[in-house]
Amino acid sequence: MVGRLVWLKWRLLVNGVRADRQRAFGLPVVTIGVAAIGFWLAGRYGSAAGEMSARAAGEFTLWVMLVVWLAWITLPVLLFPLDETLDPARFSLAPISRTQLMAGLTAAGLVTPTIVVPVLLLATNVGLFPGPLTALMALIAGGLLLLQFIVGGQTFTALVSLILRSRRGRDLAVVVVSSLGLLGFALQQTIATAVGEYGLAGAVQVYRLSSWWWALPPVAAQQAAVAAAAGAWGQSVLALAISAVWLLLIISLWNRLLLRLVTTPESSPLGGSKRIRPTIADRRGWSPVIVVARKELLFYVRDPRLRMVWTGAVIFLGVIIATLLIGTTQLSDIQRARWLPLIGPMVVIFIGLPVALNQFGWERNASSFLFALPAGPRKLLIGKNLATGTALFLETMTLSVILAWVSGGWATLPMVPPLALTAIGCQLAVGNIVSVLAPLRLPDMGTDLFAQATEQGCLAIVAQMVSFFVIGLLMTLPASAYVLVVQFGQNLNPVVVSLASLTWGAIIYSIGLWIAARVLGKRIPEMVALVQTV
Amino acid sequence: MTENSHPSVWAKGLVRRFGSKVAVDGVDLSIGRGEFYGLLGPNGAGKTTTIKMIVGLLRPSEGTAGINSLDTWRQPLEVKRRIGVLPEEFNLYERLTGAELLDFTSAIHRLPREDAVQRRRELLQLLDLEDAASDLIADYSRGMRKKLALAAAVIHAPPVLFLDEPFEGVDAVSARLIRGLLQQYTARGATIVFSSHVMDLVERLCTRIGIMVHGKLVIEATPEELRQQFGAASVEDAFLEVVGAGDLGEGLEWLGASSG
Repeated sequence: MVGRLVWLKWRLLVNGVRADRQRAFGLPVVTIGVAAIGFWLAGRYGSAAGEMSARAAGEFTLWVMLVVWLAWITLPVLLFPLDETLDPARFSLAPISRTQLMAGLTAAGLVTPTIVVPVLLLATNVGLFPGPLTALMALIAGGLLLLQFIVGGQTFTALVSLILRSRRGRDLAVVVVSSLGLLGFALQQTIATAVGEYGLAGAVQVYRLSSWWWALPPVAAQQAAVAAAAGAWGQSVLALAISAVWLLLIISLWNRLLLRLVTTPESSPLGGSKRIRPTIADRRGWSPVIVVARKELLFYVRDPRLRMVWTGAVIFLGVIIATLLIGTTQLSDIQRARWLPLIGPMVVIFIGLPVALNQFGWERNASSFLFALPAGPRKLLIGKNLATGTALFLETMTLSVILAWVSGGWATLPMVPPLALTAIGCQLAVGNIVSVLAPLRLPDMGTDLFAQATEQGCLAIVAQMVSFFVIGLLMTLPASAYVLVVQFGQNLNPVVVSLASLTWGAIIYSIGLWIAARVLGKRIPEMVALVQTV
Repeated sequence: MTENSHPSVWAKGLVRRFGSKVAVDGVDLSIGRGEFYGLLGPNGAGKTTTIKMIVGLLRPSEGTAGINSLDTWRQPLEVKRRIGVLPEEFNLYERLTGAELLDFTSAIHRLPREDAVQRRRELLQLLDLEDAASDLIADYSRGMRKKLALAAAVIHAPPVLFLDEPFEGVDAVSARLIRGLLQQYTARGATIVFSSHVMDLVERLCTRIGIMVHGKLVIEATPEELRQQFGAASVEDAFLEVVGAGDLGEGLEWLGASSG
């Protein structure tokens, strides 16, 4: 059965490459890139450890294994689509025991280009411990570490899958992602401060993990090698045993998660309500544009993935506030900058990109329903833009008010609304054109937080980067005018700047809308084919 | 020429290729006002592809199609105002409630608000969806979704209705109501293009039948003509004659032979 699952994973990879040109190009590039990163990391790891004293090197290797393990188990779920990953739920009806399934998934977990990174690191790690017995212990510890990498990753994936399947799954996922993001940021800041203060070798000795080795699975395994190198064979064997116990505990957790994963339905229906609650027709506004905008706004609140996009502002806000509170001295200068509220539109525009650049991708399979209706392309776009613009404007103002409170830049705040509207106009102008030329398919996948079809991954990244650049270019003129006003006093009248900026935004938006509406009118069947998953 | 002098639904030389595969191969159609037209064929025959090309959701490789005097590919909005579509994959907005979806559809079709509210109420009541009207469609069963999609397709009273497997997953009580509703609809002059694999229903409802095989429209006739032409007792038998039904023949003896 293990062989079958390994074969299946391999076939999924190969068939994916065969079926799609982007993937055929992307996979070798990614493999080469990952291998290069793996060699670079392993080289840096080996040389840094080699330059330290034995004691410091031991502590350093414990830290490295902990950080790499955490990155390995979390990053794939948080950053990348996982459609090649074997979803355990698909084996619910197969006559496979959970033990077989877990063994198969573990072995299949090795069939991925990214495995190069831990393998190279672990090989370098074994090379750091000279002497046959010590190297043997490092090798055994390395094997345990590799298993912890794979099993830890699978367990975390299973946990996120379970969270995502619950009714409030994606909201919980936002909390998980936000927490991990903030935790990672705080960890990075703490490490950077400690390394800046004590140097790398000093920092790892001040913040010693060897005191906590038993509490952290990868550290316990690595401690077995470190203790063996120090001649503490008793502790080495104990660390190995504790590491093995950790592995069993993780496997046991994975087993329990799998049990729930293969038997729990994806969602449970709500009970029917007897009375029709007030709906679209019971409220004001009955034109196609208003109704489309209203539908979009309802989806911003109800669609967990869209909700996640908009709550992304909270993450950014958290990071900005955390940066200001615990950041370096240079960052504390920013805290007092009176232009700080003007950052609001920039941050929110960045957050709104996934929606603004993919207005029709979010329709997913319902696109065939929408496009079978007699809605004119221009009205559809304006309705959608109205919703996106409203959400962006509200988020911008909220963020800018908080930034004004942090920086005391209340005087700058009145300039935010015109700047925000200009930026929104420029963003939607570019967004509308990209939305109709290169819509992205957004499949529903159980284990994917930010799911988009992998074959369109490169397209998404390129489209977002180019668009962000173009939006930035379009904003150069108005943004420069605002900077002149804020930084150089009253050289320019703020009212004139605001009016000119709004006019600029309106012109750019109108041009973008005109182009996008003409293209959309001619491309409806292609749009349906591009965004539908069936 | 008046709009009534044109066929309600027409297609001229419709072809659709997917790479080297020809899914629809030169289909010509002419369906008159008030007809209940059954488009039949085995899986992969090209029925859904044909309907998608007529309603404007799939661009033909060759040929064109339309409604009355309108060409789907030249006047898409005008065509869409005159049709209602219940597609095979009835992909609705999962995160709208049933009532919201009907309101959304009415507003896009520019129905007056009062009419929209009244029609929504009547349709939800008729299709036994009143209790679930304020639930998200994501929570609907397959049959409920089908009924809601049908309500969305008829709420603006289109003169032409395209229905792909409208009774799939629908309970017997609702199916009977829907049958009555559709028959009443055509009796008032509307045209229905209907695709189904349930031959009994096709025989009872359709006034004319077209059978597609391998992307070609191989025969068009009334149910009576079809039965007579093939000397068959039912439309199902005639259909099987046309498409060339296979039999089990040799092999598969192992099926059902295992014990335990």
